[in-house]
Amino acid sequence: MKKANNGRGIIMFAHNNAEIDYFRLAVVNSFLIQRHLGIKNITVVTDSASLDYAEKSLGKATIDSAINNIIVVEKDKKFKEQNIRTFKDTSHTAKTLSFYNVNRCDAYDLSPYEETILLDVDYLILSNTLNQCWGHNEELMMNWRYQDIMYERKDPTLNRLNDFGITMYWATVVYFRKTPYAESFFNCVKHVKNNKQYYQDMYKWKGHLYRNDYSFSIAAHIMSGFQDRGIPQLPTTLYKTFDTDDVHSAIDDSTMIMYLEKPRSPGDFMLTKWSGVDLHVMNKWAINRISEDMLSHAKRT
Amino acid sequence: MSTRLTQALEFANYRVTLNNQQAVLRAKTQSLLSYSINGGTFTIDRTLLNFCKLLLEEQQTEAVLLDIYNNPIKIEVKSFYDEVLSRYFEVTNDYYAEYEKLRKSRKVHKVLDLNEEGK
Repeated sequence: MKKANNGRGIIMFAHNNAEIDYFRLAVVNSFLIQRHLGIKNITVVTDSASLDYAEKSLGKATIDSAINNIIVVEKDKKFKEQNIRTFKDTSHTAKTLSFYNVNRCDAYDLSPYEETILLDVDYLILSNTLNQCWGHNEELMMNWRYQDIMYERKDPTLNRLNDFGITMYWATVVYFRKTPYAESFFNCVKHVKNNKQYYQDMYKWKGHLYRNDYSFSIAAHIMSGFQDRGIPQLPTTLYKTFDTDDVHSAIDDSTMIMYLEKPRSPGDFMLTKWSGVDLHVMNKWAINRISEDMLSHAKRT
Repeated sequence: MSTRLTQALEFANYRVTLNNQQAVLRAKTQSLLSYSINGGTFTIDRTLLNFCKLLLEEQQTEAVLLDIYNNPIKIEVKSFYDEVLSRYFEVTNDYYAEYEKLRKSRKVHKVLDLNEEGK
């Protein structure tokens, strides 16, 4: 494991499951980060199986030029077997797979940087907007406001943990500095994760799935003195698509043509050109399908 | 299906695509009209530009502005004004150019800048 220098950097978590190559997504996003944010300090937390697979499929040289700090951790096998969710590759294909997201709360401890942006691997960096975070007065920022890029589509279940509950923050992008407050926040996230049943009873989120969005939202509520929306938002809106959408093509390193599912006609799509704004693409298979094109665009000098 | 109905459905599809593409363009513009300095973040709009212009006319060299988080941020007025003004015009001119291009596109593939084969 190489140690990156301190300063400013990005951290992502990439643990493959039986179908989805998260490490490949991390490599694609790392090239996009280098291109648009101009940042070389990129840490990816993974496990040995995901890394071995990536070395075979992508090659060590590609991985090394994308990521300068790889942290290999042991997988919690019990969690992996228990946290199962349905992943969709559009409404036409749904698969039940392991959702390994248990260690995002360790981001504070694992990050070698003074200032860190924690990213989901499927939050594609297509602009330099996140550079606005560096040196910010706020020591911890994340979004509760989001915008679906299919503007007609509304999903009120994504606004709160339950209908009468606290506001849901998105753990997709989190900016933090190494400060006692940020450290306490991440300790609080760990505490919620370790006492999931208690906090699920108290905050009443639906289903049995552990999501970081829930634990980060609850920690935000606790760390704000039990006030809603107490943690400031990032200076950028979180734009997202859903796993029922698809990617048509990657035109260049900042432009994609998307298939967006029509709200009143499931399985039927409209096209949208998305350019120059970061985007959360929930359909992981779709990113993997365009990953070769995206890699060649992002690597081009 | 009759030709008239087919044409109507095609046009409906075009309108939906066009409307969404215009919303996407607005989102991009909104995202670019944001400026961070000295630990604060500002939305570049006409209010901010006018207020900075007023400060300059009042011969203020330094001032404290409230950012989007309502935090007080000290700025050097002239350089701040020059930067936000230049960004404002850069972004709105791009917005205008892309908007005009969209307005003139009468087919889905033209709205998306693709050829008829979708490439």
